[in-house]
Amino acid sequence: MNNLKENSNVDFAIRIAGEGGEGVISCGELFAQAAARTAYHVFTYITYPAEIKGGFSMIQIRIRSGRIYSIGSVVDYLIVFNQEAYDTTINDLKEGGMLIYDPDVVKIKDDLKIEVYPIPLNKLVTDLYGSKLGKNVVALGALGNLFDIEFNVLEKLIKDRYGSKGSNVIENNLNALKAGYDAGAANNWERKFNLIADPQAKEHYMLISGNEAVALGAIAAGCRFVAGYPITPATPIFETLTNIMPKVGGRAIQLEDEIASLSACIGASFAGEKAITPTSGPGLQLMGEQLNLASMLELPLVIVDVQRGGPSTGLPTKTEQSDLKFAIYGTAGEAPRVILAPTSVEDCFYQTIRAFNLAERFQMPVLLLTDQSIGYRKATVRIPDLTKIVELDSSVHTDDISIPSPEKIEIANRIEAVKMEGYKRYLDTFDGISPMTKPGMEGGQYLSGGLEHDETGKASSLPHIHSKMMRKRFKKLEALSNALEKNPPDYEGPEEAKIGVIGWGSTEGAIHEARMLAEERGILFRHLQPKVLSPLPERQVRNFLSGLKQVIMVEENYTGQFAHFIKAKFGIKPIEIHKCEGVPFTPEEIFNGIEKVERIIHEENITRV
Amino acid sequence: MKRTLQEYKSVIKPIWCPGCGDYGIVNSVQKALVTLDIAPENIVTVSGIGCSGRLSHFLNTYSLHGTHGRAVPTALGAKAARPELTVFAIGGDGDGLGIGGGHIAHVARKNVDMTYLLIDNQIYGLTKGQTSPTSPYGIKTKTSPYGVFEDALSAIPIFLSYDVSFVARANGVDTKALTEILVKAISHKGMSIVYIFSPCITFPLLSSKGLKEILQPLPETHPKEDKLKAMEMAYSEDPIYTGIFYQVEKPTLEDRLQSVIKQVCDRDNGGKEFSLQQVLDSFA
Repeated sequence: MNNLKENSNVDFAIRIAGEGGEGVISCGELFAQAAARTAYHVFTYITYPAEIKGGFSMIQIRIRSGRIYSIGSVVDYLIVFNQEAYDTTINDLKEGGMLIYDPDVVKIKDDLKIEVYPIPLNKLVTDLYGSKLGKNVVALGALGNLFDIEFNVLEKLIKDRYGSKGSNVIENNLNALKAGYDAGAANNWERKFNLIADPQAKEHYMLISGNEAVALGAIAAGCRFVAGYPITPATPIFETLTNIMPKVGGRAIQLEDEIASLSACIGASFAGEKAITPTSGPGLQLMGEQLNLASMLELPLVIVDVQRGGPSTGLPTKTEQSDLKFAIYGTAGEAPRVILAPTSVEDCFYQTIRAFNLAERFQMPVLLLTDQSIGYRKATVRIPDLTKIVELDSSVHTDDISIPSPEKIEIANRIEAVKMEGYKRYLDTFDGISPMTKPGMEGGQYLSGGLEHDETGKASSLPHIHSKMMRKRFKKLEALSNALEKNPPDYEGPEEAKIGVIGWGSTEGAIHEARMLAEERGILFRHLQPKVLSPLPERQVRNFLSGLKQVIMVEENYTGQFAHFIKAKFGIKPIEIHKCEGVPFTPEEIFNGIEKVERIIHEENITRV
Repeated sequence: MKRTLQEYKSVIKPIWCPGCGDYGIVNSVQKALVTLDIAPENIVTVSGIGCSGRLSHFLNTYSLHGTHGRAVPTALGAKAARPELTVFAIGGDGDGLGIGGGHIAHVARKNVDMTYLLIDNQIYGLTKGQTSPTSPYGIKTKTSPYGVFEDALSAIPIFLSYDVSFVARANGVDTKALTEILVKAISHKGMSIVYIFSPCITFPLLSSKGLKEILQPLPETHPKEDKLKAMEMAYSEDPIYTGIFYQVEKPTLEDRLQSVIKQVCDRDNGGKEFSLQQVLDSFA
């Protein structure tokens, strides 16, 4: 404690790296939980192999005194469990950073400009009970000591985590924790930060993952039906919902594949319930035919695609933004749907509610595109204030529904038909939205079919019926696009900037921090991160583009899928920055790209927009 | 006042080939519904693609004519969401034994309380005569111009091995017997499959007349809860038996879901449902 430096501008990152099965992730998650009990914000990033055991695995935890936008560009503390972890990550440790390693299994270079603390993780745990299992808990103890976390806080975390595994397991883990804590203390190390629990500060925050936020958003939106098939990295949404649904009287059903899962959602929605299915790219592909059907039947439902590296089985446990084109255009024929892309863990909660609102009101499938990096990211988010939830009735016009936010959460439901006489399920209204009936409503029976049909639902392939009904279904997208224009725009940054950066989804934080870095160096840019990717509010996007000399598009894919969409819609020629490595952008990588572009513009004074 | 047959007919008139057995089948469904007096608005009918997929068009119910092979899991969703509804899935041999064959096992495992009408005409009739999973060996079709070289699927033993809790076979032409079976199938608590022969008039592989000779009702003494006996009767080729092969009571999907709800609410919340606040608190 004596050598603790007071620092109100706390901002540092810890990385724990090892092999799958060594408990690296659980060590980091427990540490993150302890850190989340302080007054600071916490943000985690996980990468792990597709196999249960073996392969490089790591968790990075950033801790900061204010809001955290990204995992950051530097690592301040590195804990490595084995040689491969050391070799893979040592270059990411910043100069002057701290390395903790197991000297019995890791050989380090001797010319490193860092602080090094050897702690024999393996030996400590083997001495205790003859097995290497539990060295992650030794590491947790050591880390706890390094950051002055009270021992009883760590003790409670261990008990909560391993409580169901019996007293023997708890005791072994507590011994390992103590051994690590003591080994840490023996280092007499220089402490830069402390992580003393501050119960009051955390009354209004919780540490959750993007996947959990989606699940909670669905529950808050009134969804009581989930059907799914496990697929990495979307499985935690399904697992969370299978846990919650029975508690709130809902239904959670695992089916035999993604086709059946979406089919069941269609059935549930047809029966009048709000339904969701979580999946990832390969699953979304299988859902193609039923996504089509839902659009044709004009049924509200929400599909979450937690994107992963592709194509094919690709990189199941890594991140990528490469399902966008499939989400927007995929399926036979032209079938309207809405694409949303949450930009942070907290946003996952609110955009999921929004997805249900849009699905219910516009009677079409809404795809929520997240990705592995945001799905597995944990962040401290404000606990949603349930007193801010307002259930809207049909009288509230669709255009007037606000975007769900911590300030106000409006829940919309489908507009129901009131007059049954001469009821037409697919009545062609001014905005294409037809009042719905549902089973149980007497006289409201109708035929809903995947065949082209007239306003009553009767199958028809007459030319004028097809053109009229295509128009009717697409009018809803136009109505939504117009409604979006009335929302506050999804961009920030100075008006006078000549560079505009467009990203989507999980890259928001990294681009935001790149903007801060750039501003420090005198480079100004505007940043657009649309949350509704399709349909776009076109006037808003044009407003963003106006006056820009160069647009840069940032995407985590190979071909620039959103850029393709934007180029086609707005006729611009952006410079594209792609990263297709399975890992997310750091703010520094984005900044470096923008700086290069800025130099070119400056030198050549070119106008490309 | 009891409902009439008319109340179960939609305004859309059937368009099958004249003489098609499907006319009799839709009629039998309507008669069974009249017998059971189920309100049309409380019925969901989900059908697949093919001649028999059109059946949902002609019923005055909440009707969903979906995609090829997916009627069964779609119907599952409707029933799971609204257990009080009467739910049908309807499809042909291509729909239910070909493209959608994989789904039946898993709906059976959950014992979803719905009635699945699998209407077998042994051919892809709507697309004018291609081989189906039940087309007899050696028969020439548009896609088997030299004769079908695969063995035909035998559906009843499949359903029995899936543990479907009500398995019946009927002759679509014999509407009286079919109606009786349908009444029992709809009344059955759990998944019921009624496998119906409906020979194709336009691409005839099995004539109605031939069927009549080979079909024979199961003996009245047939023990419906004896699965091995049911298997034995199902494999008989001459005669081919009709009637209820197998019927047992076991928990439905709804029973199972309710038991999970009760288990967690009793254990963790004094038997009450959790509030949204409690759900959030468990993450804080």
